[in-house]
Amino acid sequence: MSAPGITDSVPVRTLRQLGSVLLFLLQILRQCVPALAQPRLIVAQIYNSGARSVIIVMLCGFFIGMVLGLQGFDLLQRFGSEDAVGIVAALGLLKELGPVVTALLFAGRAGTALTSEIGLMRVTDQLTAMEMMAVDPMRYVVAPRFLGGLIAVPLLVAIFDMVGLFGAQLVGVHMMGVDAGSFWSQTQGAVAFHDVIEGIIKSVVFGAACSLIAVYEGYNVDPTAEGVALATTRTVVASSVLTLLFDYTLTAIFLKS
Amino acid sequence: MTSAPTAGNAPAASADDVIVAVRDVHSSFGRRAVFQGLDIVARRGRVTAIMGPSGTGKTTLLRLITGQLMPDQGSVTVWGQDLATLEDAEIYRLRQRMGMLFQNGALLTDLDVFENVAFPVRAHTDLPEAIIRDLVLMKLQAVGLRGAARLMPAELSGGMARRVALARAIVMDPELLIYDEPFVGLDPISMGVILRLIREMNEALGITSIVVSHDVHELGEIADETYLLSQGKVVASGSPEDLQRSNLEVVKQFMNGIADGPVPFHYPAADYFAQLLADPGT
Repeated sequence: MSAPGITDSVPVRTLRQLGSVLLFLLQILRQCVPALAQPRLIVAQIYNSGARSVIIVMLCGFFIGMVLGLQGFDLLQRFGSEDAVGIVAALGLLKELGPVVTALLFAGRAGTALTSEIGLMRVTDQLTAMEMMAVDPMRYVVAPRFLGGLIAVPLLVAIFDMVGLFGAQLVGVHMMGVDAGSFWSQTQGAVAFHDVIEGIIKSVVFGAACSLIAVYEGYNVDPTAEGVALATTRTVVASSVLTLLFDYTLTAIFLKS
Repeated sequence: MTSAPTAGNAPAASADDVIVAVRDVHSSFGRRAVFQGLDIVARRGRVTAIMGPSGTGKTTLLRLITGQLMPDQGSVTVWGQDLATLEDAEIYRLRQRMGMLFQNGALLTDLDVFENVAFPVRAHTDLPEAIIRDLVLMKLQAVGLRGAARLMPAELSGGMARRVALARAIVMDPELLIYDEPFVGLDPISMGVILRLIREMNEALGITSIVVSHDVHELGEIADETYLLSQGKVVASGSPEDLQRSNLEVVKQFMNGIADGPVPFHYPAADYFAQLLADPGT
């Protein structure tokens, strides 16, 4: 029409984009139940997105845990409460660093792979071929990958937290000389069940967001080599920004309640 | 499956014989009009060829016939059903009666040859594994690739990939087979194999075929009915011989591969000398 200035403006474009992502999510959710009837496809995707990310998640979790041990010890010993280093590490990992860093790693490791895989299927007409065989690619390609990511991220977060705590313990107890008994008992006393729940909720939300963006960008790719490259980049950028945005929002909500 | 007349000498068709009817279709992408009043009919048991220079919307036509795209105006009827009036689920049911061969094969890259051919069977039936195995091996035998059953698509040559895709397209015994540029980029031997398969499929099984291509000579060997598209319309139709004899300039140009004619060699541009003599940067 005659007002390209308005319909092409950034807020309108963003809103339109958001709308199409949400519609895409609804389409996926509609296909999730029939997709569950083919658990083999979902298990394969949990393996692809989850199991193949375990090593990098463990490595990063270990280093972040050790850094928490060092920094926590350094800060706490100024107040003479270095025994509490376990609390700092455990709460930091469970509530923040576990879900956030795992989601960022997932976006970079598995999200990009999902986007380029589905994008290449689009480029090579595989998705159209499925439609022509009267097979809905939303059910056979998109929904299993989304569900796979949704299930894999919380599991990866659990691994990240565990390895991270081990790293913190290694530094705190074995390098800095905090008493092992007080390290664990203080940690056990301070971490409540709702802290764990908070971490789980976050990891589910981040997992859903990162998986959704990855499959959306792949499915709606501009079918050229450049299009796939751009979509992959957008997956990482959008997943990271959205993860941090949701993190702040959820943290604010949890602290209020 | 119907016992259709073999190709070549079918009598004037009744309404029952019309499998695909494209009537007065207008279609456009953004501002560019692809079709302006297109009329095409594909009859039972016959090979209908659709030819035209690149960019005349041959692929768009296939998307219209398979219900992936709806026309802006006009109607596309398949087996007597107007696609525009159908729900997605009904279009999916119609597609189960169609097979389509894609230009690049479009094999699923994460499955091997056997599983690619078995894919539609697994998706639409609950047949026992032993029957699926026999069915797939029979179709692979028909295209001469039973020995390649366990290769991955990446290990196939272009011609082999297209033959596997053909086996996949016929595994559900479709009544209508659609070929999108089946001859592009094939060596003469693979070309001969594909040509023979298309003809056998049509003559032995009575499958209705629509072939979109611009290979004039190959189509001349297999087509019963030929449509030549140009600028969004059918400019000529009839048997391949009719087209060869046509006096229309655009038909002559296309059939004989003449560089310049009604379809201009030059993309529209400013005057050549004026542009060469003008200041750089303008």
